[in-house]
Amino acid sequence: MLTRRSAGKLFAGAAASTTLLGAGFRPALAADKVIKIGIDLPLTGADAEGAMRIKNGALLAIQQANDAGTIKGYKLVPFVLNDATATAGQYDPAQAATNARAFVADPSVVAAIGPEMSGAGKAMAPILSEGDLATITPASTNPDITSPKFAAEFDPSGKAIYFRTVTTDAYQGPAMANYYADVLKVKSVYVLDDSGAYGVGIADTFEARAKEKGIQVLGRDRLDPKEADYTVVLTKIKAKNPDGLYYGGVMLAGTKLVKQAYGILPAAMPKGGGDGLLDPEMLTAVGFPAAEGWYCTIAAPHLTEDPKVQPFVQLYKTTYNMLPDDYAITAYDAGLVIVNAIAGLVNAGKPVTRAAVRDAIQSSTTQTLQGTVQFDKYGDIVNRTVSVFQVVKNTAYPLDDIIHQFKYIGVAPTS
Amino acid sequence: MSETTLIIQQVINGLSLGGMYALLALGFTLVYGIMELINFAHFNVFMIGSFVGMWVLQAFGLSGQNVILTGLPLVGALLAALVVSMLASGVLGVIIERYSLRPLRNIKGTTAMITTIGVSYILFNAILLGAGADTKNFPNPLPEVRFHIDGAVMDLRVLLIWIVSAVLMVGLWLFVQKSKLGKAMRATAQDPEAARMMGVDVDRVIVVAFFAGSALAGAAGLAFGLYYNFTSFLIGYTAGLRAFTAAVLGGIGNVPGAMLGGLLIGLIESLGGQFIAVAWTDVIIFSILVLVLVFKPTGLLGTMAPNKS
Repeated sequence: MLTRRSAGKLFAGAAASTTLLGAGFRPALAADKVIKIGIDLPLTGADAEGAMRIKNGALLAIQQANDAGTIKGYKLVPFVLNDATATAGQYDPAQAATNARAFVADPSVVAAIGPEMSGAGKAMAPILSEGDLATITPASTNPDITSPKFAAEFDPSGKAIYFRTVTTDAYQGPAMANYYADVLKVKSVYVLDDSGAYGVGIADTFEARAKEKGIQVLGRDRLDPKEADYTVVLTKIKAKNPDGLYYGGVMLAGTKLVKQAYGILPAAMPKGGGDGLLDPEMLTAVGFPAAEGWYCTIAAPHLTEDPKVQPFVQLYKTTYNMLPDDYAITAYDAGLVIVNAIAGLVNAGKPVTRAAVRDAIQSSTTQTLQGTVQFDKYGDIVNRTVSVFQVVKNTAYPLDDIIHQFKYIGVAPTS
Repeated sequence: MSETTLIIQQVINGLSLGGMYALLALGFTLVYGIMELINFAHFNVFMIGSFVGMWVLQAFGLSGQNVILTGLPLVGALLAALVVSMLASGVLGVIIERYSLRPLRNIKGTTAMITTIGVSYILFNAILLGAGADTKNFPNPLPEVRFHIDGAVMDLRVLLIWIVSAVLMVGLWLFVQKSKLGKAMRATAQDPEAARMMGVDVDRVIVVAFFAGSALAGAAGLAFGLYYNFTSFLIGYTAGLRAFTAAVLGGIGNVPGAMLGGLLIGLIESLGGQFIAVAWTDVIIFSILVLVLVFKPTGLLGTMAPNKS
């Protein structure tokens, strides 16, 4: 059905991608030199809504830099590619690799923002590393990509090129395990993942910390995200009667899991996941009452309700006619870091090359919406805040309002 | 939850899955029995059936999870959704046959089968473009009524799926066995040339097979939506592949075989997931299929396909 909303999305997406792609081939109007910022996100498929918010955050930072003339003599042009395919129904690592090659092949691309998904990140990182092209991810949290243990696989050139404005699942999963043990007083848990790089990784780190905290792990199962039926595994979990359930994964499996868990598992059982569940689909495709009570986290500080960030929230809302989520803010922050790095080079009279931009990002200290952003030598953000949310029906706001239906609980315990 | 209760619960889960697989498997088997053609477009006729069911329920003002109907309005809305999604899917099946398969009728080899794969992708992408990629919240108008069997829980939608599957399967069985058209179908399946010589309009029989098979897929699509409370452009693939496996397991071309195969695949899925691991579901299903075909190549109840001698 071509609803007005979906049609609008479709046309807006098509129009945006043609103008953005077309812009690169048009001669710049002024004498400004054109440099491109690659943006890779799953713009269609199960995670399209979240990806759209991230894209807008990144675009806003680029547009503001252009409008204000932050980088003298240069015009920034976004080069947006979609890493989701219809056959995958969500992000597709093969498509992400293709997109990374497209960025590397275009000499005017000096930095990139994205991807959203860790599975895409794993496919892109080695290609970007060979091409010496730095990217800043506003959302992908799998720790392997930046871990020195896997450098041969993801960072063959040896210089960090995969930077993050969020922390990793090495902190996100364990922080939630701490929250389960210390705050929710969970003594036994069942762990599920969605077979993806992100889902398996965060579920592993959750499981490891849960064991350290003395939580008994009653079982672990792996969901096939294309499968429709999870009643079988949920029945199995019900029979084991754990105190809590943890799901590592994104919405393709998450939607069905949360829906089917309602009615099979007791409503009072704490159920939660990572940032994969903090998604508009939790409210649109799952909805109440099934989504009620589910916990989720983000690997960043919670800012959309922060009074200091309200001017940004208003600007975002008027520009894109939708509300930003926290990863729209980390995407905007990633944009600020890149703009700041390039502006620094230009002001110092240095050439804007990929290597120079990478080095500038590595050593940068940028004031962003989430505070000062700095990276360690592997590219990970120094600030490691994990925020906990719970879906709590708030009838004062529309039921698909991602800011008000996900209630901010607080920062997760770090140990 | 005791071990027995758990097994009862998984059998309930498995039979609900199996009912849907069986309805879908019948479509593969009806067409194969008459044309010796594996119709891959069937996967996505099922998917479109579930979208049509959703649109009908939405037209009744039902959306999301919060509008619960009872009594006559509930029966009316469900019946309307069932009839419309069956009709729409049936007509879609007929259109596919008429415009993409009939022109190829006399071409030997795999051309027709490859064409059905192409049609399947067209349907898939049409819904992807028209309705969007996000998972749809399927209306759930059913009141929360639960039956307890020794601790195992069965809700109204499970019962509904069982009843609808059983009624449709028995109806199809009676149609194939008792009606004149059914007799013509069986005759065509046995020997199309001889049937034609006896005055059977083979084109018409083929159209009926496509209509009936696709209509059952539409019913399965609606059942899917009501059972899982979601639909998406992606649902055809996994369910379609399992249903196709069910048809082969039972003996392709064989109507009772498709029903048996569907129920078995559903039970294998639920009990395999319980006692081995859910990640292994496909491995278990396809291993059993391979084993059955090694020892009984015609499937459990025997293949029925046109006599090509």
